Amino acid sequence: MLTRKNRIIIFAILPGIIVLLFIMNLWYGSVSIGWFEVLTTLFSSTESNTSSQIIIMQYRLPQAITAMSVGIGLSVAGLLLQTTFSNPLAGPSVLGISAGASLGVALLVLLGGASGLQIGSLSMVLNDFTMFIAAFGGALVVLLIIIFVSGKIGNVVTVLIIGIMIGYLVSAIVGTLQFFSSSEDLHSFVLWGLGSFSKTTVTQSISIFSVTFLITIGSLFFVKPLNALLLGHRYAVSSGFNVKLMQSIFILIAGFLIALGTAFTGPIAFVGLAVPHIARTIFNTSNHSILLPAVILIGAALTLACNLLSKLPGYDASLPINAVTSMVGAPVVIWVIIKGRRMNIG
Amino acid sequence: MDTLLRTEKLITGHSVSKRKKVVLHNDLSLTIGKGELIALLGPNGAGKSTLLGTVTGMLPPLGGDVYYGEKNLAHMSNKEVAKEVALVLTDKIDDRYLTTYELVATGRYPYGSFIGKLTELDKDNINNAIDAVGAGELITRFFYTLSDGEKQKVLLARALAQDTPLILLDEPTAFIDSPGKVVIMNLLTKLVKDHNKTILLTTHDTELALSYASRLWLLGKDNTFVEGLPDELVKNGMINKLFDRQGVVFNRLTYRFEAEK
Repeated sequence: MLTRKNRIIIFAILPGIIVLLFIMNLWYGSVSIGWFEVLTTLFSSTESNTSSQIIIMQYRLPQAITAMSVGIGLSVAGLLLQTTFSNPLAGPSVLGISAGASLGVALLVLLGGASGLQIGSLSMVLNDFTMFIAAFGGALVVLLIIIFVSGKIGNVVTVLIIGIMIGYLVSAIVGTLQFFSSSEDLHSFVLWGLGSFSKTTVTQSISIFSVTFLITIGSLFFVKPLNALLLGHRYAVSSGFNVKLMQSIFILIAGFLIALGTAFTGPIAFVGLAVPHIARTIFNTSNHSILLPAVILIGAALTLACNLLSKLPGYDASLPINAVTSMVGAPVVIWVIIKGRRMNIG
Repeated sequence: MDTLLRTEKLITGHSVSKRKKVVLHNDLSLTIGKGELIALLGPNGAGKSTLLGTVTGMLPPLGGDVYYGEKNLAHMSNKEVAKEVALVLTDKIDDRYLTTYELVATGRYPYGSFIGKLTELDKDNINNAIDAVGAGELITRFFYTLSDGEKQKVLLARALAQDTPLILLDEPTAFIDSPGKVVIMNLLTKLVKDHNKTILLTTHDTELALSYASRLWLLGKDNTFVEGLPDELVKNGMINKLFDRQGVVFNRLTYRFEAEK
C-alpha cells in the first residue's frame, strides 16, 4: 500500500514531467528548431516573425495546449463515467457521445457537401467554427437523450446499454451518409475521424484549456458523492446524497468535456478509458480526493506524450493521433480485462 | 419511552406500473422506541426488505406516513434522513481500492459540506466507531480482502460513525458462520446498552432473534403482520404459524425448527 509520502512525491514529480513533455512538444517536429530558440520564443515578450518562431507560436503551441486540455477533459470524463456507472469499462466512446459528435460533423461535411448548400468551400468549413458547433450539437443531442432516459429509468446499467445502442445507431446513420457522399467529402470526414490536435488556433486552444480547467476544478467539489457512489446506489443514498441528481450532474459534466474535446480534435480513442485505470494502479486508491487530481495530471502527460510519439516519423505529416492513443491505450484496457478477477468485470 | 420511528397506516409494496400496484402489507402502524432491539422475521418474499426500504425513504410508500420524531419522512431530504437512521445492507461493494478506513469515513458524509476534509470531530467519530466494533487492526486493509464477518463489522462501524439514534440492518448474520453470528449479535446488544443505539434488523435466524431481540415483528407471506415479545409469540404459537411448512415444525423448548416426526 502506497504511503502518504510516496503519493506526495509522485504528485510533485508529475507536473515536472508535464512541463518537460510540453516543451519537448514545442521543440520536436518536422522542422528542427534548437532548444535555445524554443525557450527564448516562449519567454520573450517581443513579437517576432522568424519562421521558427511562427512555427512554435502558431502551430506547435496551440497543438500542445489542445493535446493537454483534451487529455485532462477526457480523463476526468472517463473517471466520472466509470464511478457513475460502477463500470470499469465505461468511457467517452461508450455513452455514444463521441458518436453523436461524429454525426454532427458527418451531417455538416457529408450532407452539406452533397446538397450543395455549402456554408463555404469545404476547406473553409473544416477550419471554421461551424465544425465545432456541429460536433457539439451532435454530442449534445445524444447527451440530452441519455439524460432524458436516465431520468425515466433509474437503473444506470440500463442507461449504459442504451448509450451503447445509441452509439451503434448513430454510427449506422453516419455510415449511410458516407455511402451517399462524394469521395472528396468522405476524405475530409475520414480525416476528422482520425483525430488531430493540430486543427486549433492559439485562441481556440486557450479557450478549450480555460473551459476544461474550470469544469475540472468544479468536479473537485464532488469528491464526497463520488466516493459514496463507490459503495453502490443505496449506500450513497444512506450517506445523505440525492444520487439520481448526482448521477445526472456527472453524466452532464462528462458529456460536456467529451463534446468540447471531440468537437475540436475529432474522437480521441482510449484516453478517457485508460487514464483512470493507470491512476488507480499508480496511486493504489479509488478515493476521488486523490484520483481526480491524479487523472488530471496523468491525462495531460499521456496526451502530450502521445502527441510527441505521433511526430516521431519526422516527415511532414505526423501519425494520426488515434493510432498512437490506441497503441498506448488498448494494451491498458487488455491488461484491465486480464486483471478482470481483481477488477470484478462480468 | 421516546419514540424514534412511527408509521401511520403505512402501505408497503411495489408499483408495477402507474395503475398496477402490488400491496405487501396494509395499514401498518408501528413504533420503534429508544433502546429497543427489534428483529423483523418472515419467510423469503414476505416483504422484509420492502418494509426497510419504505421506512428509510428508498422506496415510496403506497400509502400512509412515516415519522422520525415529529418529522414526516415525505418532507425530509436524504441528508436529514441520513442523520436519523444509518443502514447496513446486503449490497455487494465491488470496489477493489477502497480501504476500511475510507469506507467507514463515508459514514460522516451527511455532516459538513461537499468538499472539505474530515474534521477532528469526524475523525473522533470514525475512530470511536472502529474501536466499538473492534476493527482497529483492519483500518489500512482493502475492504474487499476482508472476510464476511469482518466486512459486517466494518459496515457496522460505518453506521456508528454516522452518529444516528437508529441503525437498520438487513440480514446482518447471513453468510456468517455460527460463532460469527453470535459475535455480531453480542456486538449489537452492546451497542444498544452502552452506546444508546436503537436497532431494527431483519434475519432468518429465528433462534438468534428469539434470544437477543427485545421485540419481534413477524411478517407473513399472506400480508399478515404480528408483533410481540419473543416468549409471548412462541407461547401463543404465532412463530409456528408463520414458518411451519409441510414436514417442519417449531420446537417451543429449543427454539429450533425440526423435522416432523
